[in-house]
Amino acid sequence: MISLRNVWIVAERDMRTFLRYKVLLIMRAIWFLAQIALFGLVVNKMLRPDVQDAVGGNYFHFYVAGIVITLLYSTAVFIGYDIFEEADHGVIEYLLSVPISRKELVLGRSIGGGLRSFIYVSPMMLFALYLIGISNPLQLLVAFASLFLFTFGVAGFSITLAVSIKSSDKFDILLGVVDALIVRLSTTLYPIAYMPDYYAALAKFNPLTFAADIFRWGAGIESALITSPWTAVLGIVLFFSMFTFLGIILHEKRIEGGGWQ
Amino acid sequence: MAPIIRTVNLTKKFGSLVAVDHLNLEIEEGEIFGFLGPNGAGKTTTLLMLITVIKPTEGTAYVGPYDVTREPDKARTLIGMAFQEPKLLWVSTPWDVLDWHAKVCGLSSEERRKRVRWALEELGLWNERHKSIHGFSGGMRKRVEIAKILIQRPKIAIVDEPTAQIDIVGKHRIWNMIRALRDEGSTIILATNELYEADVLSDRVAIIHKGKLLVCDAPKKLKDSILGGDVIEVVLEKEVPSKIVEELKAINRIVDVLAVKPNCLKIYLNQAEEVLPRITEFFMKVHMPVKSIQMSEPSLDDVFVHYTGLTIEEAQKR
Repeated sequence: MISLRNVWIVAERDMRTFLRYKVLLIMRAIWFLAQIALFGLVVNKMLRPDVQDAVGGNYFHFYVAGIVITLLYSTAVFIGYDIFEEADHGVIEYLLSVPISRKELVLGRSIGGGLRSFIYVSPMMLFALYLIGISNPLQLLVAFASLFLFTFGVAGFSITLAVSIKSSDKFDILLGVVDALIVRLSTTLYPIAYMPDYYAALAKFNPLTFAADIFRWGAGIESALITSPWTAVLGIVLFFSMFTFLGIILHEKRIEGGGWQ
Repeated sequence: MAPIIRTVNLTKKFGSLVAVDHLNLEIEEGEIFGFLGPNGAGKTTTLLMLITVIKPTEGTAYVGPYDVTREPDKARTLIGMAFQEPKLLWVSTPWDVLDWHAKVCGLSSEERRKRVRWALEELGLWNERHKSIHGFSGGMRKRVEIAKILIQRPKIAIVDEPTAQIDIVGKHRIWNMIRALRDEGSTIILATNELYEADVLSDRVAIIHKGKLLVCDAPKKLKDSILGGDVIEVVLEKEVPSKIVEELKAINRIVDVLAVKPNCLKIYLNQAEEVLPRITEFFMKVHMPVKSIQMSEPSLDDVFVHYTGLTIEEAQKR
């Protein structure tokens, strides 16, 4: 039987560890602000009115919501790097020796990886909402709940990759490629209307598109949605279920009996 | 009384390498059990199987009543380990590491604070408790690792090379803390390649070499079991030819002669006081001037030599 106390202790450890990467956290926050204050504002001025219409009337608002999602993704993915770092320092052996079950350990890591990302990005999310404005608090709550699941899904996705690949260099390169594709083949930064059809077809099933859509819907940028908000919620739930489950199964299989060696 | 740890044909293979080979051991509750062997002997692999970090290839071990292959989660509730290499993330602080360890071991917040503070003060880390481990020396990291087990106070405490990289004052302090842990009710498994450490701390010692158990008994009994209860160490002016060693062995009451260095012999014998004049006379006769002669009691090193034909340093090099 899984002890929730133990799961929470593991998750809490991952959150505390994340806070120790002060330079990384400060740099990511500066990156976020620079993207908004420089890139977002300048590009917004460059765009024709028809492009502005395609994103709900204000590209800047569309972009700010999208950049929050990319930040949420890139910080939730960080748990995979932690797993490699711990394997390098032998910390994984220590974690396997403490009096908690393997299931509690892997579940806690998945939750911790997602939760810390959500908590870290929350102030930036609120800043984004301050810039965009809030029109429907109930929609916003649904959006927050969905994004909460989205971060767990991304953490599970990162753990799945980390435990499937034995080399940290390969993981680093693969994650760079995945990051380039998953962010660019989504509606986080630009509307689907301007994508070639074959890109748009892929973007429609991208979890980042679902997340960007649901956050924009929550913030009231409804005309920018590519589908119904409930489809986006369903997409996120499926993404969360698949990778949380897969991440846990693979992680447990890999660490049990010294498979990480 | 039933043993608190029992291994039954415990075996671990990594590909073609047999790291632990059908190990059968019994460890009694409340004892300090020395696990002695050179690096690569299979000590750490055995301990990692006991703590369920790795699975045996064959055989099993029982931690208390729990089979490590069938009930690993339950086995881990009885056992804790301070690893040979400190298992710490460089961004962590001693306080965070130890506080989390205490928490995951189920200590209440009050008890946690008390024990973490006590361990940090005892090990001289209190002033560094909120500093990143990144800047710590090897010895300081090792002390943080040891602190984990002192805080946890498990029923079975494994300490793997507890004083490696620690200065002599620190060593004595840690030895006293290990003894205190035993006095409070823990059974201690001490893995070490330091013979003196095993000798002074252990109630019983198991000597392991190339994954196999060679012998297991109280240090005194092991030392007494060596044929030739006395040891004479002779340092000569020049290198000793093997022919001389063979001639020396032929002297009555000399049990064995081992060249520990090209100009240094260890002679295992009975009734040293009677044989010593004959030994000095022998060296004079063969024109081998003697630099020094020292008589001693056999040590665990001698026990290791007796069973493997190698000193622990030589075994480590192979």
